[in-house]
Amino acid sequence: MAKTKSAMRRKETMYGYIFVMPWIVGFLAFTAGPLLFSLFASFTNYNITSQMDFVGAENYQGLFTEDGLFWTSLWNTLYYVLFSVPLTTIGAIFLSALLNQDVPGIRVFRTLYYLPAVLSGVGVYLLWMQLLDPGTGMINLILGWFGIDGPNWLFDPAWTKPSLIFMKLWSVGGAMLLYLASMQGVSKTLYEAAEIDGANTFRQFFHITLPMITPVIFFDVVTSLIGGFQIFQEAYVMSSNGEGGPANSLLFYNLYMWRQAFENFNMGYAMAMSWILFIIVFILTMINLKLAPRWVHYEGGDNR
Amino acid sequence: MKKLYTIPAAFLASSLFLTGCAGFQTGNNNDSSAENEEGKVVLDFWTFWGSEIRRPVIEKIITDFNESQDEIEVQHTYLPWGDIWTKELAAIAAGDPPDVVINDINATALRGEQNQAMNLSEFLAEDDISDQFYPELWDATLYEGDSYGIPFNTDTRVLFYNKDAFEEAGLDPEQPPTTWDELEEYAAKLDVKNGDDYERIGFYPLWGINYDVWMLNANGHNFINEDNEVLIDTETNLETLEWLKGWQDKYGDDVINSYKAQIDSQQGNPFFNGSLGMYVSAPTFYTQIRDYADDLNFGVAKLPEMEPGNGHTSWGGGFVAEIPAGASNPEASYEFIKYLTGAEAQEYWAVQNFDNVANIEAAESAAQSDEFTEDGTMVYSMATEYMSDTLLTPVPVSAPDFMGSVNPKIDEVFLGSKTPKQALEEAQADVESLVEKNTRE
Repeated sequence: MAKTKSAMRRKETMYGYIFVMPWIVGFLAFTAGPLLFSLFASFTNYNITSQMDFVGAENYQGLFTEDGLFWTSLWNTLYYVLFSVPLTTIGAIFLSALLNQDVPGIRVFRTLYYLPAVLSGVGVYLLWMQLLDPGTGMINLILGWFGIDGPNWLFDPAWTKPSLIFMKLWSVGGAMLLYLASMQGVSKTLYEAAEIDGANTFRQFFHITLPMITPVIFFDVVTSLIGGFQIFQEAYVMSSNGEGGPANSLLFYNLYMWRQAFENFNMGYAMAMSWILFIIVFILTMINLKLAPRWVHYEGGDNR
Repeated sequence: MKKLYTIPAAFLASSLFLTGCAGFQTGNNNDSSAENEEGKVVLDFWTFWGSEIRRPVIEKIITDFNESQDEIEVQHTYLPWGDIWTKELAAIAAGDPPDVVINDINATALRGEQNQAMNLSEFLAEDDISDQFYPELWDATLYEGDSYGIPFNTDTRVLFYNKDAFEEAGLDPEQPPTTWDELEEYAAKLDVKNGDDYERIGFYPLWGINYDVWMLNANGHNFINEDNEVLIDTETNLETLEWLKGWQDKYGDDVINSYKAQIDSQQGNPFFNGSLGMYVSAPTFYTQIRDYADDLNFGVAKLPEMEPGNGHTSWGGGFVAEIPAGASNPEASYEFIKYLTGAEAQEYWAVQNFDNVANIEAAESAAQSDEFTEDGTMVYSMATEYMSDTLLTPVPVSAPDFMGSVNPKIDEVFLGSKTPKQALEEAQADVESLVEKNTRE
């Protein structure tokens, strides 16, 4: 009896492996393979076509000690992540709290606010470039009605990164949907009990809603942090001649890496850059995971 | 017993699935040199000319070539501008590149150095065609004396001016400005101010071209010379930058930005309706005048020189036809390139696209073409003559992206956060260390 059971379990395990096999093979061939190759090539002067000589840690050393643009690009990216992650998270929570109300026509609003998340890519960036145009754009026109002399947005280095962050705030619909779903899942009995105890709406929000959605906040923070470090397209499309201008204010890490890889053909150097970014993101994600138990609340909570 | 087979079977299935995706195909063996059923060699030709204007022209040239002989059959592959060269690079690395590709002329030497493009000197030794092309273009294709691509087309920058506006301002419409001083003087006369707003702006040097073209115009040479000497922080560049800054101060950012937005919108270019007196652009700007402002009375001139005798140097770019390293039929590829850059095909391209071509004979006969209108002939022949004063800016192999270190500093001058002197000094230092780093062994 026991024997057949373990045989069956073994068989099932085997089936499991068989089913995930395409993924495993794909992962080894198309993800792990290139990943290890890039680690190796980051210690060479690989230029894609004709050379690949071992140069030791020269790429890394050059990046840290001789390359001013490396630090500029890292700073720009950190700036962007530092502001965009908290702002988009708060924005999405705020929006979903509003859209969680029971008012007539709420579905129309939900659709409207989700719509920007459906649109994506270069079309949206071009649209925003027109909206943000200092002379003829709609945003400065509307600011003008209130007597505000709008900034030069994408032409003023102090405003270029805030411009992109505003643009990101416009498309928080995707994260909003997650928060909304999770808010709808919060048990009504908790609110009823709080109401009987005399808690007002704000206290209910901060003491019931927020703790109950912390798992989703955690997920959102981790993924948007990683996504934030990968910012590339926005700068490539929206900066003057795709170089990261004006005055290098939109030279993000990945844009500089791309330039090194495909304009200078310093592929080994670019791969070293990608590993530095990988390590930064890895450390930040580890910190996030370590801090999570302090503030993320899982229902059924056995402290996990 | 049965279950023993399951795992190997699964392995087999998944590896079949993978090979089905052609993940492991290797090219670059002689079997892959494509031949079609008639025994003709098939060439894959990559361009980014997919627009409804250019595509029929290049495809007509290809058809003509295919019909002109019976050994080679060229097939055209259109790839978008943003993709073509990264795809080409990947194809070269994979050992299965296209046979002929159109690429940027200014980075030809770099691709030669990196062994991405094939050295053509072997073919040229047998049949030297170099003197068919403008020398400046030909020289841009050389790395260590060997050619890595044959020039296809180019452009130069010329001054368009509004003759009616000249007359209105009391200037001779047949005497465009020839020096920077005259340019300033004429622009001031052309300015029409109404309160704080401009009804007409005479000229602003940074619309249509960038600061580097003016520095090239003033210097007559590039920022980095053949001995890897960096020539950015120079007296002439400083003077140029201060001169440009003076224009910015004169008109002010608000005016400049609102005009810039109209220029970027193409149809709304203020030059068309006479609210901009003079404008620098490539000769193809004429096709926009033709399409959007047919009755505009305009003239074209060389860029003014910094001071008399300094030279009217202008800037041009362009493209080459080249054979990627590892292409399987270089002889056939070269045959096709010869046709593509030969007088007949080049003239057809020039006339149909109103584009400057690299072949001298073709450019000169296109200028006489009766398919152009009077204005068209005027612009085209002027651009052809101007090629002798046109310089290219081949990227220095020692620092291909050095402009990435210069542009941000110059940006800061026009943003007001650096003086011209500071910006040039910093750019000089940055580019010097870049060159030093890249040439160190």
